[in-house]
Amino acid sequence: MPAAGLKTIIALSFVLAVGFLLVILSCALWKAYYPLLVVATYVLAPIPNWICNHCANPDDFVESSGAAVLDLGRFCTGFLVMMGLALPVVLANSAIITVPAMIMSVIGGLLIYGTIISFAMFFQEEQDF
Amino acid sequence: MTMSEERLFRFSKPEWLNSAWARNAGVYAAGAFFSLAFYTLLDSAVWSHSPLNASDIHIRFIDWLPFIFSTLGMLIINSVEKARLSSESFSYGGSGVAWKARVVLFLGFASLAGGMAGGVTVFVLKYVVQNVGFPALRMGVENLVANGLVGLSTVILWISQNMEDEYSYNLALPAQG
Repeated sequence: MPAAGLKTIIALSFVLAVGFLLVILSCALWKAYYPLLVVATYVLAPIPNWICNHCANPDDFVESSGAAVLDLGRFCTGFLVMMGLALPVVLANSAIITVPAMIMSVIGGLLIYGTIISFAMFFQEEQDF
Repeated sequence: MTMSEERLFRFSKPEWLNSAWARNAGVYAAGAFFSLAFYTLLDSAVWSHSPLNASDIHIRFIDWLPFIFSTLGMLIINSVEKARLSSESFSYGGSGVAWKARVVLFLGFASLAGGMAGGVTVFVLKYVVQNVGFPALRMGVENLVANGLVGLSTVILWISQNMEDEYSYNLALPAQG
């Protein structure tokens, strides 16, 4: 894993700001504020994983109940991530938002979620076994 | 006693399938496919009540019913402990746990297949028989696609959970020897 320094933080926050800019523009340009839901989805996405990681002991291979809880968390995270992609498409299909707003909010949402993921990857606490 | 002597097929599973990475990706993908199924159906429901829908066909509770049954089936199938299914060789199950597991699993698969058949039924009775044209026919097609995606998600989740058994087995072997 590459060393995470000040440049990483600056780059990540820049990408996060661009993502938020795209999402807010996609709302404000057309005066339809539904794409803000994408931000909420992506912020909520890591939470099931996080909760289930605390509920289960990942080193426990013999009892499979711990793995089941972990799987539930992963399933919910996968659900929420795909929800962030699917929600603007659903809204655009019914002409609630326009197609450019859909594209902008999808790209912005992906940037926001990518920032969250890479932040978690770079600044994960060193786990000692 | 090695894995190669218990193997049934001539081609062995590729090595990367047994990694923890592959099964985690499988579980994430299952969640993503289930989400895709739900939002496909939601898309047809939202579209049916939007001004774009010129026909007088609307999504009602009937259209959601096959999806509900498919989801129920998926929930039941993936809640069953897979190790109990083949427990006639091991006696830790006690009296008839494998039998009970098979009955519950049968109910799950019946619910999943019933959901898919219900999706086809709604598609035929509501759209095909009445000669609905394409902008409204999309709602029926999306119903079919949603039920198919729930089935696909079930298969992916099942496979990744079975992968986990192999994975823990591979981990357990060197510890014994």
